[in-house]
Amino acid sequence: MSQFSLFSSGIELANLVVSSGLLKLSWDKISELYTELNQSEEIRWKVYQQPQSNCIIVAFVVSPNRTKQLLEEEELVPSSSLPFFHFLRTKIDSSFSISKAAVTLFDCVLDQLSSFKDRVGNSISMIITGHCLGGSVASLFTLCLLKSINQPGTKRPLCITFGAPLIGDKGLQQAISQNLMWNSDFLHVAASQDLVPRFFISPYNPNAMEIDSQIGIYKPFGIFLLCSKYGCSSLEDPEAVSEVLVAMDLEIARNKPPNEQWHMFDYGAVVKRLMSTISFKGISQLSEMIECPRQAGIVLQLQAIGLNRRQQSGDSNPLIAKLEKCEEAFVSKRKMGFDPSKKLNKRKEDMAKLEWYKKVSKSEDKGYYDSYKNRGSKKDLHVVTFKKSLTNYWKEMVAEVERMPQKEEASFRTRWLYGGTNYRRMVEPLDIADYYKENGKKDYKANGRSEHYIKLEKWLEEAGKPLSSQVITRKQNVSASLTEDSCFWAHVEEALIQCELLRNGQEEESTRKKLIEFEEYVMEQIKEYAVSPEIFLGGSSFMQWWKDYEQIVGTSYKSQLTDFMKSRLYQQYH
Amino acid sequence: MSEPFSVLDKRIRFTRLILFYLRKGREEARSGCIVGGLTLERALSLTWIKVKVESTIGKYPKRSFTSLHNNFQERVQNLKQETFYLLYDLKIKRAIIINQAKLLNREIFSTSTITVVETMASERLGEVISMKEEVIKNACSIAMKAHKLPEKQLYLVEKNRGSSDVIFSFPGSWTISDWFSRSPFGEKMIDPHPPQFASLRSIGNDQVATVNEAFLTRFQAILPQLQSEVVKAVADRKQIVFTGHSSAGPIAVLMTVWFLENWENFIKSDPSTSRMPPICVTFGSPLVGDFIINHALRRESWSHYFIHFVMRYDIVPRVLLAPLSSLEPELKTILDFLNPKCTIHIQEPTREASALYVTVMRNASSVASHAACHLMGNTNKLSDTLLSFIELSPYRPFGTYVFCTGDRELVVMKNPDAVLQILFYSSQLSSEVEGPEIALRSVKDHFNYQSELQNLETKGVAHFDNLEGLPLSSNVGAAGLGLVLNNLGLSTRARLCLCAAGELEKQKRRNQDKINKKKTDIEKGLLALEGYKTRCEAGRVSYYDALKLSKDTDDFNANVRRLELAGIFDEIMEMLKRYELPDEFEGHREWINIGTRYRRIVEPLDIANYYRHLKNEDTGPYMKRGRPKRYRYTQRWLEYALKISAGSSGESCFWARIEDLCLRTINMGLFEDVKEEILSLEKQVEKWVQNRELGDDIFFEDSTFVKWWKKLPQQHRSGSCISKFINN
Repeated sequence: MSQFSLFSSGIELANLVVSSGLLKLSWDKISELYTELNQSEEIRWKVYQQPQSNCIIVAFVVSPNRTKQLLEEEELVPSSSLPFFHFLRTKIDSSFSISKAAVTLFDCVLDQLSSFKDRVGNSISMIITGHCLGGSVASLFTLCLLKSINQPGTKRPLCITFGAPLIGDKGLQQAISQNLMWNSDFLHVAASQDLVPRFFISPYNPNAMEIDSQIGIYKPFGIFLLCSKYGCSSLEDPEAVSEVLVAMDLEIARNKPPNEQWHMFDYGAVVKRLMSTISFKGISQLSEMIECPRQAGIVLQLQAIGLNRRQQSGDSNPLIAKLEKCEEAFVSKRKMGFDPSKKLNKRKEDMAKLEWYKKVSKSEDKGYYDSYKNRGSKKDLHVVTFKKSLTNYWKEMVAEVERMPQKEEASFRTRWLYGGTNYRRMVEPLDIADYYKENGKKDYKANGRSEHYIKLEKWLEEAGKPLSSQVITRKQNVSASLTEDSCFWAHVEEALIQCELLRNGQEEESTRKKLIEFEEYVMEQIKEYAVSPEIFLGGSSFMQWWKDYEQIVGTSYKSQLTDFMKSRLYQQYH
Repeated sequence: MSEPFSVLDKRIRFTRLILFYLRKGREEARSGCIVGGLTLERALSLTWIKVKVESTIGKYPKRSFTSLHNNFQERVQNLKQETFYLLYDLKIKRAIIINQAKLLNREIFSTSTITVVETMASERLGEVISMKEEVIKNACSIAMKAHKLPEKQLYLVEKNRGSSDVIFSFPGSWTISDWFSRSPFGEKMIDPHPPQFASLRSIGNDQVATVNEAFLTRFQAILPQLQSEVVKAVADRKQIVFTGHSSAGPIAVLMTVWFLENWENFIKSDPSTSRMPPICVTFGSPLVGDFIINHALRRESWSHYFIHFVMRYDIVPRVLLAPLSSLEPELKTILDFLNPKCTIHIQEPTREASALYVTVMRNASSVASHAACHLMGNTNKLSDTLLSFIELSPYRPFGTYVFCTGDRELVVMKNPDAVLQILFYSSQLSSEVEGPEIALRSVKDHFNYQSELQNLETKGVAHFDNLEGLPLSSNVGAAGLGLVLNNLGLSTRARLCLCAAGELEKQKRRNQDKINKKKTDIEKGLLALEGYKTRCEAGRVSYYDALKLSKDTDDFNANVRRLELAGIFDEIMEMLKRYELPDEFEGHREWINIGTRYRRIVEPLDIANYYRHLKNEDTGPYMKRGRPKRYRYTQRWLEYALKISAGSSGESCFWARIEDLCLRTINMGLFEDVKEEILSLEKQVEKWVQNRELGDDIFFEDSTFVKWWKKLPQQHRSGSCISKFINN
């Protein structure tokens, strides 16, 4: 709905998180775990079962000394050397990097975690939490869980980190935030007095900058819960988070001596204060007249995180405008998001029109494949339009499914599989026709086939065979249905090419062999009633092939298919 | 050229209204009444509306408006000046005037979009909620009196001689099990196959309401005794009022719903009975059920019969927002303290009150923030993910709320989303020092309704129709509406939530407008398909079979029409599913009729297409797996409107059942297995055809149905109730 862009809900979301009590719950476990941490230990983790609920909390802490050491290294490890996280890579973002500190610590506990993960499965609600670098490890562990969250009935984990440093680059940010569900599985609590969350993005930290530029290498992902002594607010858009983290850094630097000693920041007090302010109005008052609700919301957010400093010149805070812009861009990006059901009925109309085209072509004794290939009349040109809108729709659909987390993907696939399969069977022959129309083009399946057809076909296979239908009913209706193998015509075209070769005297064993394979393939399709009877129409390419082939092999040659064709049994195939 | 005239019309009306309010305001100002300022503000805001109308002029041919335009400019100038002078007269702070002037300036002279800032009237409560103040006060005192009833008496009837009202009230209960039947929130789904509360559901979505189990049980215990008294009062042509204070409030609510559901029957059995709608007034009532109650009451246009009075800090209306486990011991103590019949003197429960207050506020905060995220169109999933770790109360407000600020104003609010936000935000503290005092007040205020409402007539009433343009800042322009919001303790954050609630309501209305505009397209499509059906019939073919064969261009065109209509209806159903249309939508007679006509003419084509493409082979029978929402929903609309049992209006699925039977009876040896089904179907068909709900084209010689039917055993056919329709 269009009210989406009118409001900024950061404060409300933050308030929900605080009043849910989950922050206190998580932090209590962390502080309990700190007391158990041995002097010699680098990292410690523990599972806590919640009484009277099907929820467990997995907490991580890292020894303060080790933390100090590790935070001085800002190196990133490229994804090529992180086989464990390869599942995050997609076609679009093929590489990313993760901070060495986080990876080093994660490796220490990887074996234990893996066996733990296998033991609990995905059927219980899990909060993964950690403080400082412990939070980084918690994030990495949550990422691993997301990998396997594909079976139905699994619960989404929630990762809550306290004062964790940024752990990845733009690649990681994109890999996670292109997926709406993944991004909101991470909640990073960051206090304005804590240096660590913005350590790697601080303009005062020369190592965190890319060479020759002012842009930091590290990028945030997930939802940030930013808190100050005035209150708290949440931010989701990664651009806005970066802006605010940098602004916080500048704000603090203005007020504090730059070389202050680093210490582990205690979030217990922060959480306690936030909880106690629920019943208070707080400072959420506007001092000026603002009419735009979104702008007012942003001003409140900045107040809550202590950044609503008035400029000396009396101008309004430039951060407000920046955040407004971020929010606008973020919302419109969301809005542009693909909604498959929106256009579905329109596409069904296109399919109906194509079906009609198929029917008309049939009455012309050609079949729609050849009708389209020859483009003899006006109606063939119309088809190009439907075909284009259908192809765009399904290409986008397949791309969207590819970007989805696996769990949604699975259910999504089943829902759209029927339409997708129908589309593929109807439209791919037209693509094949276009492909072979260009002279000399060969081997569609290897060189010409669009990725989305391959995916659609693969999904159908993975979904398992449809209910085994009786061959009788199949036969009854075969005239109305489409050829099951959408690449059937590519096979025909290849066979035509082979015949051409033979006719030109390029007699070769492999050519003959291929033709025999084709024969067998066709016969099998016929037996299964998997091809449409249209292929036997007088003007079809298949019949063209048959004429060629019949000449080449001569009358003495005998096979199942030649018998079938010669005896004109195909006339009863409908 | 009809539009310019409607604009003209609006202008004249507006000008009259503005003048009326200016006059009224002036009078009130002279008599020293503070509300005069509010009236004037209304005049001011109307001026802005006029300006808005003005700004739309650009759309129309200039010629016809030049003169009007000049005339109008002049009037606006005059009004503006007049308003300023009057505001001065009232000695309202200079700063406010400057602010208003600034706003006004911008509104009038900038070309940017103009928002209508507020429409707020100051009237008497009785006018706003159309109920006599006297009745409210009476109800309140009787509601309190009911608490003192002896144990066995379950209700109190108050009939004043000479008065036209009969007031029914109920005693509250003070044991915790009468509030929470169990953990966490004591809620229970209403029986989906009801003799009672059939209306408390979302029709298309087929979702029944959830109510508090303990209150429902008490209601059911009281109803049998009360029933005859109510019927008698109705026969005496009395105005029925149900009232209750505290936990008796929900009983009054459920009684009223029961009454409304049976109202038609009362009238039917005795046409001379009162047609006056009942009134339900509650005081400090806890919440009763989930959001579906509001949805259903609005759909039935019953919502405005329910008036709830809530003191700003009263804890009771909020208490069900917290789970039982979080507050059990404290609530027990507090209930003992509140119990008017408790004879032991109990000390003021300061500690328990504080604990209860903090717990309720924390939970109310979760509920309110979660709702606010939705209102503001938050797109991220965190708020949903959190729900697998915490449980939120399902209870939501409905009806009209009257909030008593404890000052001179009453705030009337009808938007249930906004009410929920106010329930939380109006109890927020402004400083820590207030804590213990407010906590104790949150308990004591529960018994302060009678004194609060004593001088009801003199109270100012702020009535919010337009939530989108609230003043967001709480320290600027603290007059009029701003002042009222301050008195209710609403911070900027709270106001933003209210704006969002208003915006959502508006958006729902916009969605409905969008859909209403599609009516012509639907009409066109339906006419085309009806024409198709007739043409097929002329050729002695049922249109079902014609489409299934799809031989001609006409069939193809019909199929495209079908898909175009599907697009429109699917969009409607999707909105209904997400509750993005006004709650009233499914109660509109016109849409129910359109839906039914659509279903009867188009669904057979969907079925034809389904079986033509053999979708039954990989998806399963149409009825089980293939039937789209657009038909399931519209069927439920009709069945609900006619009060007939679910599934009884399945005539549009006739062909799907035939196709299914065809497949199952390929081998006629199985006849005995399906005999019962065939018999019942034949009976239904006879009825449908006689009622013209199903066309008789199904009986054409070569129809799928007749061909199949003729294969049935002779013995069966000769005795069948539909054999008379079929030409043998």
